[in-house]
Amino acid sequence: MSALLSFLHLRKSFGARKLLDLGPFAIGTGEAYVITGDNGSGKTTLLRSLAGLEPGEIAGFTFHGVPLTHGRLPDSARHEIVYVHQHPYLFHTTVAHNIGYGLAARGIDGAERERLVEEAIAWAGVEHLRRMPPAKLSGGEKQRVALARAKVLKPRLFLLDEPTANLDGEARGQAIALIRQLVEDNSSLLIACHDRELIELPGMRRFHLANGKLAET
Amino acid sequence: MDILEATRQAFSLLFSGDTELWTIIWISLRVSLIALAVATPAAVVLGYVLAQKRFPGRRILVVLIQGLLSFPTVVVGLILYILLTRQGPLGSWQLLFTQEAMIMGQAVIAFPVLAAFALAAVQGADPRAHETAVSLGASPLRAALTTLLEVRFAVVAGVFNGFGRVISEVGCAMMVGGNIAGVTRNIPTAIALETSKGDFAQGIALGVVLMLFALGISIALGVLQGRGGLK
Repeated sequence: MSALLSFLHLRKSFGARKLLDLGPFAIGTGEAYVITGDNGSGKTTLLRSLAGLEPGEIAGFTFHGVPLTHGRLPDSARHEIVYVHQHPYLFHTTVAHNIGYGLAARGIDGAERERLVEEAIAWAGVEHLRRMPPAKLSGGEKQRVALARAKVLKPRLFLLDEPTANLDGEARGQAIALIRQLVEDNSSLLIACHDRELIELPGMRRFHLANGKLAET
Repeated sequence: MDILEATRQAFSLLFSGDTELWTIIWISLRVSLIALAVATPAAVVLGYVLAQKRFPGRRILVVLIQGLLSFPTVVVGLILYILLTRQGPLGSWQLLFTQEAMIMGQAVIAFPVLAAFALAAVQGADPRAHETAVSLGASPLRAALTTLLEVRFAVVAGVFNGFGRVISEVGCAMMVGGNIAGVTRNIPTAIALETSKGDFAQGIALGVVLMLFALGISIALGVLQGRGGLK
C-alpha cells in the first residue's frame, strides 16, 4: 500500500514540556488508523498538526507524494485533508449550507453543488434537518452533519478527533455507523478516540500514544 | 417662553413638515450614514487583522484605537480644519465648510469605534469557526469573511454605536462644516445655534429627533443582542 501521508519526525512542545516526539510514521492510501491515548497525550495536537492547524516541527512531511513544510498547507493538500473537531463547529446558517461550504470554497456551484449536498444529506440521514439552524441540533446531529460536510468533499484523508465523545445511545451508534461506512469505502482515516467500539472496527490499524511516542498495538 | 410652550411648538414644527427642520435632519442623516459607509470596510478589516494576526507594532495599534475611542471630536475638527484651510496642506481641495469635510471628520471619529468593535467581535469568535473554514478548503479571504459573518451581529452593533457617536457630535461638525443653513447645518450644530439665539422650540424638536435616534439604536442593539446571543 502506497503512503498517502508520511513524516520522518514530528515534534511539538509547549514550553519545556515535550508533548510529541514522533519518529517515522506513514498513513497508507485507503487505510484506517485509530490512535488511543490518555487525555492530554497529544492525540488532538497530532491531528491538528497534520491538518496544518497547529504549528510544529515536522521533517520529511509528504502528502500524496508532494513534500510539505509545517504550518499552513498548500491548497493541493488543504483540499485533500479534512479535519473534524471533537465538538464540530457549524456555521450559523443552515445544515444544507454547512454541508455545501467546502464545495463552494472549491468553486463548485449551482446544480452540481446542490446534487452533492443532497447526496451527503441522505448519506448522513439528516434530510429532516436540511433547513434547520445548527443551534437547534443535538450533539449527535451536529456530528453527523460535520461528517457529511467532510465526506461531500471526497478528501483523500479524514482526520477525526474523538468523533463519538460526549455522545451516547442512538447518537453514538449513528456516528459509528457513518464512520464504519467510510472505513468500508476504503477512505483513508486517522481517528483519535477512546471509544472501544470504534477502536475495534474491522480493518482498523491501532496505535497508542504515550509519552510523546506512537506505538502500534 | 416657558418650557411647555416651547415643547408644544417643537412638536408642532416636527409634525407640520417644517422644511428647514427636516433639511437639518436630512443633512445629519446623509453625512453620518456616508461617513459610516466610508469608514466601516477599512475599520472592520483593521479590527479583523488586529484580532487574528500577530506582528510588530500590533499592540501599539490596539492601544491607539482604544485611546482614540475617547478622542475629543473638537480636536478632530481642529486637525481637519488645519489640514483643509486655504493655507493648509489640503487647502487646494476646497472642502472646508462642506458636507464632504463633515463626512471626513465623522469617518475619522467613527473609525476607532468600528475597529474596536470588530476587533472585540473577532477576538470573541469561536476559534473553531476560522479553523473549520480553513479545514474545509476556504482561501484566507473566504475564511476571514466567514469568521466575520459568524460574528456579524457584534460587528453591526459596532456600526450602530459608531452611528450614535457621529450623529450627536457637535465639535467637529461645527469646525469643518461651519453650520451653514441648508448646507452643513446638522442636528447638533442647529441645536447649539438655536439655543444660543433663545429659540428653544427648534432646539427641543431636534433634541427629540436625536433622542428618537438614540432610542432606535438601543432597540436595534437589543434585537441584535438577542439574535446574536450576545450578553
